[in-house]
Amino acid sequence: MANRPVHFIWLLDCSYSMQGEKIGQLNYAIREAVPEMRSVAHDNPAAQLLLRTLTFSTEARWHHKDPVPVDDFTWQDVQVDGMTNLGEALEMVSRELQTPPMPQRALKPVLALVSDGVPTDDWKSGLRALDATPWGKKAVRVAIAIGADADRSVLQEFLGNPELQPLDANSPKQLAAAIRWASTAAVKAASQPVASPTDTTVKQPPYAPPQLDDDDDDVW
Amino acid sequence: MSAPERRQPPREARWETLEHSVQGVNKQLNQDWYVAEGSGSASDPLILAVADGHGSAVHARSHIGARCAVDLFAAQARTFAELARSEGPDGTHSLSWLMNYARNELPRQLAAAWQESVLAHWDRHPDTVNPAAEPPPKGRKLLLYGATLVGAVVTPQLFAAWQLGDGELTVIGADGAVALPLAPVEADLGDETESLCSRHAWQLVRVHWAPVVAPDRTPRLIVLSTDGLSKSFASDEGFAQFMAGLDQRLAKDGGPDDVREALPGWLAEAARYSGDDTTLVAARRPEPDAADHGPAPDEPRSDA
Repeated sequence: MANRPVHFIWLLDCSYSMQGEKIGQLNYAIREAVPEMRSVAHDNPAAQLLLRTLTFSTEARWHHKDPVPVDDFTWQDVQVDGMTNLGEALEMVSRELQTPPMPQRALKPVLALVSDGVPTDDWKSGLRALDATPWGKKAVRVAIAIGADADRSVLQEFLGNPELQPLDANSPKQLAAAIRWASTAAVKAASQPVASPTDTTVKQPPYAPPQLDDDDDDVW
Repeated sequence: MSAPERRQPPREARWETLEHSVQGVNKQLNQDWYVAEGSGSASDPLILAVADGHGSAVHARSHIGARCAVDLFAAQARTFAELARSEGPDGTHSLSWLMNYARNELPRQLAAAWQESVLAHWDRHPDTVNPAAEPPPKGRKLLLYGATLVGAVVTPQLFAAWQLGDGELTVIGADGAVALPLAPVEADLGDETESLCSRHAWQLVRVHWAPVVAPDRTPRLIVLSTDGLSKSFASDEGFAQFMAGLDQRLAKDGGPDDVREALPGWLAEAARYSGDDTTLVAARRPEPDAADHGPAPDEPRSDA
C-alpha cells in the first residue's frame, strides 16, 4: 500500500526583469511558505506532497529536478538570468507529467506559475504540450502576476479556466500572501474528491483565490 | 427389495456475505454506505451495493446521498430480481427484455429516484445556516449530495451489476481468475469521478450482464468496494493481488470467520494510505457440497 503523491511544481520566472527586490522577495516568500506546506501535508497524511522547482529565463532548468518530500525540502535561492522562455519550461513540465514518469494513481498535480513579464519564446507550443498530457489537463493551476508589467493574458491562458483569475502581486506583501495561498489552498484543492466538473450541472472552480490586501505602500 | 432411494431436488446455493466500512483519516464522518442481503435464491436474491459520498465541502450532504443511493438501488434490485424470476418460456419476460431493462430502465429509474429523494431531503432540511438566503438552483442542491454507486444482484439465473463513478466490482471466477468487469476503459485521474449528481447520470452507468449458464461456472467470489480501498494500492496489480489473496483466505478452513475478524484491520490500513472512507462487501459462493447441508432458503424449516 502507498500514499498517493501530490506533485507540486513551482515554475518561476527568473528573467532580468525580476532582478533586485522582486527576486529577493520571491525567494523569501517561498522559503517562508515551506513550513505552511508541511503543515497542510501533515493535516492530510494520505497525500504525499512532493516538490520541484523549475526556473525559466534564457533557458529553462530544473532547480529541484527530482521530487522532494516536503519534510525534506529546503529552499535554495533562485537567481536571475536573461530572457523569459516560458514555452521551454512548460514543455519540460509536460514531459514530467506523462505516465510514466507520473504514476497512474496519484492526486492531481499542482502547477504554480509566477511571472512578471512577457514570454520571449513560443509559449503557446509549450502550453499545448502541457495540455496534451492527461495529468497536465487535470492539474490544479495557479498563476501569480508580479507587478504591472506581467502579461496577465498569458497567465490567464495558462490557467485554462475562465472562472479563475491570475493573482495580482503588486507589492512584497501581496506576493507573500499569494505564494502562501498557492502553497496551501492549491494543495488542498488537489486532494479533495469532487464530481467531474465536465459532467456536473453546476461547474465548480477547483479553488477560490483570496482577496489580497492592497494597502502596501511599497508597490512594484 | 428395498424401496428406491428418494432423491432430494437440487438445492439453491446460499451465498455467504461479509461486509465492513471504516472512516477515512481526518474525516468527520463516514460518507460511505453499503448493503449485503439475501441468499441468492430466486425468492431471496443476493443484493450487494456500496456507495461513496464525495465528501468535500462542495458535497456537504454526500453521506445522505450515499445512503439514498444504496437504499434505492436495493429497492430497484429487488424489483429487477422479481422480474428475472418470471423470466422463461412461461414467464412474462425474455432474457433480452431483462437485459434491456438492466441496461436502460434500471439506471434511468435509479438516477431519477435518487434525484427525487435527495431534493425531497433538501426540502425537508433546507439550509439552516442562512435561512434567509435564496435557495440554490437544483444543480447545486444535487451537488451537495453527490455520490458514486456500485451494485450487484445475483439470482439462480442471473448475475448483473451496475456502476456509476469510481469504486470497484471485482469478480473471482470459478477458475480463480480476478476480473474487474466494470472498470472504465480509462480510469479517472486524481480524485474526480462521475457521480449520481452528474447531468444525465443514468447514461454514465456501466452495466455488467452475465446470465448464469451453469451453476458451477458462477463466480466464486464477488466483491464490491469503494475507491478508498483501490487507491491505497500503488498499482492496479497490488489491488488485484489483494483480491486474489482474499479469495484464498476465504477458501481455507474457517476462512470466512478469519476474514471477518481481520477485515476491519485491513480496511483501516487501507484508509490510512488512501485517506478515504473504505468499504468492502463480498459474497462467496458456497462450495458445491455445501448446498447439501440444511434446508434450502426457500424451503420451510422444520425445527421439530
